Amino acid sequence: MPHHIYGIRHHGPGSARALLAALKTLRPDVVLIEGPPDAQDVLPLIRDDGLKLPVALMIYRADEPRHAVFYPFTVFSPEWQALNYAFEHQIPARFIDLPMTIHLAEEAKAMEKLKKALEEKAKLPNCDDSSPMPGAGSGDGNGSPQMGSPSPGDGKDPNSTQPTLREDPLGMLAEAAGYTDHELWWEHQIEQRVDATDLFEGILEAMTALRADAKPLDDREPAREAHMRQCIRAAVKEGFERIAVVCGAWHAPALVNLDGAKADTELLRGKPRTKVIATWTPWTNSRLSYRSGYGAGVASPGWYEHLWTARKHASARWATLAARLLRKKDLTASSAEVIDTVRLADALAAMRGLPLPGLAEMNEAILTVLCHGQIAPMALIRQKLEIGDRLGAVPKSTPTVPLQHDLENRQRKVRLKPSTEIKDLDLDLRKEGDLERSRLLHQVALLGIPWGEAHTAHGKRSTFHELWQIQWQPEFAVQVVEAGIWGRTVESAAEARVCHQAAEIQELPVLCELLLTTTYAQLPGAVKYLLKVVQDQAAVAADVRHLMNALPKLSEIARYGDVRGTKGEQVLPIIAGLFERILIGLPGACGSLDDEAAAQMLEGIAHVQESVDLLQVESMADDWQALLRKLMEDENIHGLVRGWCCRILVDKGAISSDELHRMARLALSPVVPILQAAAWVEGLLRGSGLTLLHQDGVWAALDAWLVELPKDIFTQTLPLLRRAFSGFSGPERRQMGEKVKRLRSAGAAGAAAKTDTGADNLDVERARRVLPVLAQILGVPYAG
Amino acid sequence: MAKAVAQQQTGGNGTPESLLRPHAEQLYADELAELAKADDRQRPPNWKLSPWAVKTYLLGGKLENGFTVSPKYIGNPRLVEIAIATLATDRALLLIGVPGTAKPWVSEHRAAAISGDSTLLVQGTAGTDESALRYGWNYAMLLAEGPSMNALKPSPMMRAMMDGKIARVEELTRMQSDTQDTLITLLSEKTLPIPELNSEVQARKGFNVIATANNRDRGVNELSSALTRRFNNVVLPLPETLDQEVEIVHKRATEIGRALELPVEKPALEEIRRVVTIFRELRAGVTEDGKTKVKSPTGTLSTAEAISVINNGLAMAAYFGESVLTANDLAAGITGAIIKDPVQDAVAWKEYLQTVVKEREGWKDLYRACREVL
Repeated sequence: MPHHIYGIRHHGPGSARALLAALKTLRPDVVLIEGPPDAQDVLPLIRDDGLKLPVALMIYRADEPRHAVFYPFTVFSPEWQALNYAFEHQIPARFIDLPMTIHLAEEAKAMEKLKKALEEKAKLPNCDDSSPMPGAGSGDGNGSPQMGSPSPGDGKDPNSTQPTLREDPLGMLAEAAGYTDHELWWEHQIEQRVDATDLFEGILEAMTALRADAKPLDDREPAREAHMRQCIRAAVKEGFERIAVVCGAWHAPALVNLDGAKADTELLRGKPRTKVIATWTPWTNSRLSYRSGYGAGVASPGWYEHLWTARKHASARWATLAARLLRKKDLTASSAEVIDTVRLADALAAMRGLPLPGLAEMNEAILTVLCHGQIAPMALIRQKLEIGDRLGAVPKSTPTVPLQHDLENRQRKVRLKPSTEIKDLDLDLRKEGDLERSRLLHQVALLGIPWGEAHTAHGKRSTFHELWQIQWQPEFAVQVVEAGIWGRTVESAAEARVCHQAAEIQELPVLCELLLTTTYAQLPGAVKYLLKVVQDQAAVAADVRHLMNALPKLSEIARYGDVRGTKGEQVLPIIAGLFERILIGLPGACGSLDDEAAAQMLEGIAHVQESVDLLQVESMADDWQALLRKLMEDENIHGLVRGWCCRILVDKGAISSDELHRMARLALSPVVPILQAAAWVEGLLRGSGLTLLHQDGVWAALDAWLVELPKDIFTQTLPLLRRAFSGFSGPERRQMGEKVKRLRSAGAAGAAAKTDTGADNLDVERARRVLPVLAQILGVPYAG
Repeated sequence: MAKAVAQQQTGGNGTPESLLRPHAEQLYADELAELAKADDRQRPPNWKLSPWAVKTYLLGGKLENGFTVSPKYIGNPRLVEIAIATLATDRALLLIGVPGTAKPWVSEHRAAAISGDSTLLVQGTAGTDESALRYGWNYAMLLAEGPSMNALKPSPMMRAMMDGKIARVEELTRMQSDTQDTLITLLSEKTLPIPELNSEVQARKGFNVIATANNRDRGVNELSSALTRRFNNVVLPLPETLDQEVEIVHKRATEIGRALELPVEKPALEEIRRVVTIFRELRAGVTEDGKTKVKSPTGTLSTAEAISVINNGLAMAAYFGESVLTANDLAAGITGAIIKDPVQDAVAWKEYLQTVVKEREGWKDLYRACREVL
């Protein structure tokens, strides 16, 4: 038999080590590996210096890149070691699994169906997290040791893991050995084995026994194994004498016997094909682990890597690493404790009859000794050590995804180099170059890649300035690849993703936020679509507060859109529609509010006011003021809201001071419930005490009201008043204090009514001299 | 020297049956003997059993000769393994947990299994002084002879060191901090200096300390970090699931009931389930179905308290009731266990009764009984 079969576990360091030893003894002249033959062309790249593990092979359909499959590799992957071995010894290495051209073509239809079902099931309320991989067949994520393969098809639907688990023959084998966790069993029996002689014979035998009466996992399995056998036959025919076949342990028995070539040909005949493209992409350790949902991996890549790199004193090194990590975070961890950790782990391993402490023993020992039984630091150890933050890189010459290609082009064009340094940008949107940069940054952000973060500068409210803080993270490369499912260019991908998101967002303000960003990103197609969605949503939105909160964003687009050449008038009809609805709905929505709801309503009203100010449409402002006046005078509305309306009208100069005095006296008259009156005061004075300072009538009314309060009620209202006054600035408070002092010194009789603004001792002549300059500053004609 | 007196009594009128509460090694003497017979694994020096056998003793199991060992601890077996492995190294073991998580129970059984002797016990109280951990003097002898080994009264800790056995310190956090610190030298040097005699006691192999500490109760003295470092800390959790807790309560209540020779039927599992459910829900602040929020009372409402409520109910049923455990027998016990603070807890309990117990199918009798007591 010229071919030797090595059944391995994907990503098992023990398997990798044993495999390497076996290859060294065998000295094969060809290595056949379970993997996609479509990737044959990019295999030589693994010897490139630019490549840093972990990386993944990505294979996607040329016509629809969103149908992609990932094969992750890291240093302890047996396949990787086999590849490396082949290249080092300059012997051919071939992938022999069923080609992806067939697989992706077959799955295309099934996937469409599945995707629809999944979308129906999991309507993500929030889409800006990393989008789910449509067609990510890269594993089943059920935590099985992945004997089959990291390739698609082992578990197509995460929901169907239960039955596969029940039929999982490895689980049965582990159960027979008395392990509840079959991963652990494999770990103890195979991966941690120090002496690996005859390991592969043993695995082959066990698998043969297991497969004797197990059904194939799915209907793809026979085809895959047939293809593997065909490849082995081809290699035999070519005259290779020592053929090493590296495959998932589960497949091993099926590849021993090479008879029945005819049946295999028959099985593989007439399969559909599609064009695929293969490339390498950087990968991360956290993506290797289960947590990210890519089931192709291992729970603890960091631990495995540690086992691979530090064979001697693995447990002592691990405990030391943990201690150093804790120290870095300012937690005590002495060397004595490290020693005791290792001893406890050894004792535990001995008690459980293991040759070496495993991860479980190490974790328990670290928890007990180093962490003093506290569970919190363990999360840190899990994150930093067990999973690890290792990040891969691919050589420059790697073929890229169309989207990435486009992104790099755009980055070059606007001269924004992706770098890991944090950089601040101040973009002047009047300049063509800066505008392009802003567009790109916004578009990339819409793709869900947080490359840059837009800041609003304090004090700089000019509409043509935009501040960004940008920092490129290497793992964005993966996100770019993922975003590749949305389109081939940055622009089209961003547009597609926005439209997809828009369909799922239910809340109007969020939608408007998205619309705003989309406008900034200048995606006309998406803007048009979004506007329609906003219109639709606004029509059915029942909550006036939502409408009100949505308004500022839209007004901003209408007002400032033109800096970017967007047509603001597209938005105006929508704003008009929203505004109408608010006018109608607001009085009703203000009825019977409790304190909290009233405070929220206040914010909404402030939003509308902001928008009205921004848009400067006269008819709108008039309507709005009329409404506010109505609200102000409605006795049934919460005092806070009424006070606030009054305040806005005062600020706008819509009511005279006489009227304000009347309102104040009315609101603070003795028959009004005290708490309502206090709320009114809070609404009126919220944030600024200028009204109180300059309107003596209000001052007097408040004074009279306060004086008349009974003692216990005064105590009761004190917190409310305190809250109303808390927003005043220091100077305002000081002025108020001075005013009180002046009033007192001005004498007890009628002091409150008489204002003391210092008008009496004014030098009219000198004051007049200032007026021309003042007029110039204010831009009003000075009549002399 | 109350302990010595008690021991003499045991020696004098001896069978475990006549004792109110026999020690673990007396109660389970047969299991320990069987385990020792079946145990062919390596034993750490001076251990009566191998770690494996200790684990089997605690968690229960079937021996090869068909003998069944009853489980003493129901819960996460890995915790038990960590604790035993700790004792096999020379690190001391500190069991931490809220009240009623079977800390003394676990430590007693462990000492019994490892050393065959669970009586080397130092009880931590606010008044415990150094001599309880080191040694005291027989003053008559001291005056007559001057300082000598004869006049010295060894503490249980010292005796454990001399014999190579496991010493237990209960409620370590109740001791004053300076008393606690006496343990530091003891644990790191494994010697007990006797400066008065210019001598010392060096611990023999097999000596170790199991301490228990409480992290929830008020009025505890936090352990110094120097001391914490010398212990391996194992946190004993509250029972994870309802079924687990019911099992614990049922087992213990039955055992104690048997020990007290109550003329009553075994407690009905249904009643136990109800008590445990009430305790768990109040403890967690939410009902088991996760739908209703309830106020949590100030007490810890531990499993141990649930056991005592059941026992109390059993006694009531036996002597005043119909010798079958009913809601009426339980009501007083439950109320007493829950209402520790007469104002706050009463409110929480009443609310719980009105919103949860009253509505629950088949709980009408319990509701009425509890309302009567209030």
